Amino acid sequence: MSTDIDILAEYIRNETGHAGPLDPDDDLLAAGVLDSFNIVSLAMFAQERFGVEFEAEDLMRDNLASLSSLAALIASRRSAA
Amino acid sequence: MPASIPRFLAETAQRLPDKVAIVSAGRSITFGELYRESVATAECLREIGLQSSDRIGICMEKTVDQVLAILGVLFANAVVVPILPRLKGPNIRHIIENSGMAAMITDSERLTEVSEFADLTRLVTGHGQISEDWPNLPYLRRFIQPRNFFDRIGNDNAAIIYSSGSTGRPKGILIAQRNLAEGADIVAEYLGTNEDDRIGCMLSFNFDYGMNQIWQTIRQGCTLVLHDLALPNDLFAMMAKERITALPVMPVFITKMFDRRLKVNTAAFDLSALRYICSTGGRLSADMISDLRGAFPKARVFSMFGLTEAFRSTYLPPDKLDTHPTSVGRAIPDCQVMVLDEQGEECAANVVGELVHRGATVTKGYWNDPVNTAKSFRSHPRFPGETLVYSGDKVYRDEEGFLYFVARADDMIKTKGFRVSPTEVETEVARHAEIVDAVAFAVPNISVGEDVACAYTTVDGKPIAEPVLRQFLKSNLPNHMVPALLVHFDAFPVLGNAGKLDRKVIKLAACERLGLEAAGGDTPPPGLRNA
Repeated sequence: MSTDIDILAEYIRNETGHAGPLDPDDDLLAAGVLDSFNIVSLAMFAQERFGVEFEAEDLMRDNLASLSSLAALIASRRSAA
Repeated sequence: MPASIPRFLAETAQRLPDKVAIVSAGRSITFGELYRESVATAECLREIGLQSSDRIGICMEKTVDQVLAILGVLFANAVVVPILPRLKGPNIRHIIENSGMAAMITDSERLTEVSEFADLTRLVTGHGQISEDWPNLPYLRRFIQPRNFFDRIGNDNAAIIYSSGSTGRPKGILIAQRNLAEGADIVAEYLGTNEDDRIGCMLSFNFDYGMNQIWQTIRQGCTLVLHDLALPNDLFAMMAKERITALPVMPVFITKMFDRRLKVNTAAFDLSALRYICSTGGRLSADMISDLRGAFPKARVFSMFGLTEAFRSTYLPPDKLDTHPTSVGRAIPDCQVMVLDEQGEECAANVVGELVHRGATVTKGYWNDPVNTAKSFRSHPRFPGETLVYSGDKVYRDEEGFLYFVARADDMIKTKGFRVSPTEVETEVARHAEIVDAVAFAVPNISVGEDVACAYTTVDGKPIAEPVLRQFLKSNLPNHMVPALLVHFDAFPVLGNAGKLDRKVIKLAACERLGLEAAGGDTPPPGLRNA
């Protein structure tokens, strides 16, 4: 079964064409895998795919820029729901 | 007194040695340090064998170290060649070869990626980890006792900025030290940038607009706070914390700052320090203006216009934004903007002609390209001995003297603040094994300027599954050049017997199928005449 991180990683690969490794703890903005446009698409995809809703304070760079931080955010919003 | 950025920095470092010049990711650097480290960088470049007037590429993320690399090259009297880090291999190769690049300064994270160019140019790291293979400027600087002040003269070459043209590969625009220095003074004059300002800089230092923020900071002795815009909440938090007073933007940033999906609530932040916002790279829509006014009621909004060949041509004074919202304004200080007909005569009011720019910001021409230089950089009988920039942009002036943009002469696509050449997009699309021909063009999308659209035909006449084609394009083009819209045609209409594609008809047919209007510039008001 795919984990949340696998699903997010697959989305990023499809969206960006990135073929290299995707370490869950990498800052994907700093690494240049994501840019300021597709990080927003990633956040929108995550909300839809996992049925969660992010609040204003969630939609900050540090919550979204790595796979592990985004997965943690999704988990916390799931348990809040 | 020679007008140059090194001279300006020497003066400001003497006047305000302990004032913070740049803030970036928790690091800050004073003018005194900025001066010493820039001179040390220049000495490092000399030590490793680089010489005056060498072209030195800078392919780095926006950091204090990137600013030091840029200033180091200027102090060494060498020529800065910015390379957008997101460019793909063939684009970077073209810039290296065309400029005759002696060295490229990059980040350690990017070294593996750019090491394929090690046989074409010397690689130097300007930021990040030390490796044994390449010189590392931050490390070498520690051992340098800055002594020399390498003085410049205003006519020295300072930078070559590559910009896409409608045909062929990107052209390098050659910029003198004097252009940068005058650009700093001119922009600070009309925006009123002063020593107390704190500029929030989201712009990249790969373009003249972004770099001008560094020059203004150095000249005025104000503070530059670097920020990469990803999510607007981070930007507003930074602006409140850093008490930002000046915010240079582009329309695409404004769209992002007020993206409704991101639940921004600017009222949650104290943004009252902001004095002005300036924008260039496309028109401000009514929605953008109202979003800016809503979030920053006290800030003055400057809409500006220009092309890299002459850096900046016009700005609209903030108090005219409501009365003349579609105007690009009037000439910037120390420059004259004319509207000329084909005979070189000044057009009457409401008659469309070509924007021709004269004055301090006229650059030296295209690097290594006398043919294109002769086309755009020309004299005029009324100004003997002087070179003017013939922009190719179609504009007109109203009775009060305000200028209005009508259309570009070329078919460049302006998207997300980039000039994209249709030819470059078509070349990459047509590399796909199944694709026969491709025609790229612009469709209007005010949130990003224009979208890149591309029509294509295939070997077997069948469309390629969009995710597959998209994946192929994303691997071969920088993001901003990947067409947002793809349209398959069974066959393309051709002109005459020569088999030349009828681009106009293709574009119209594609737009019809997309349910869109093709971009052709603003609709001129009724009564407007062509010269």
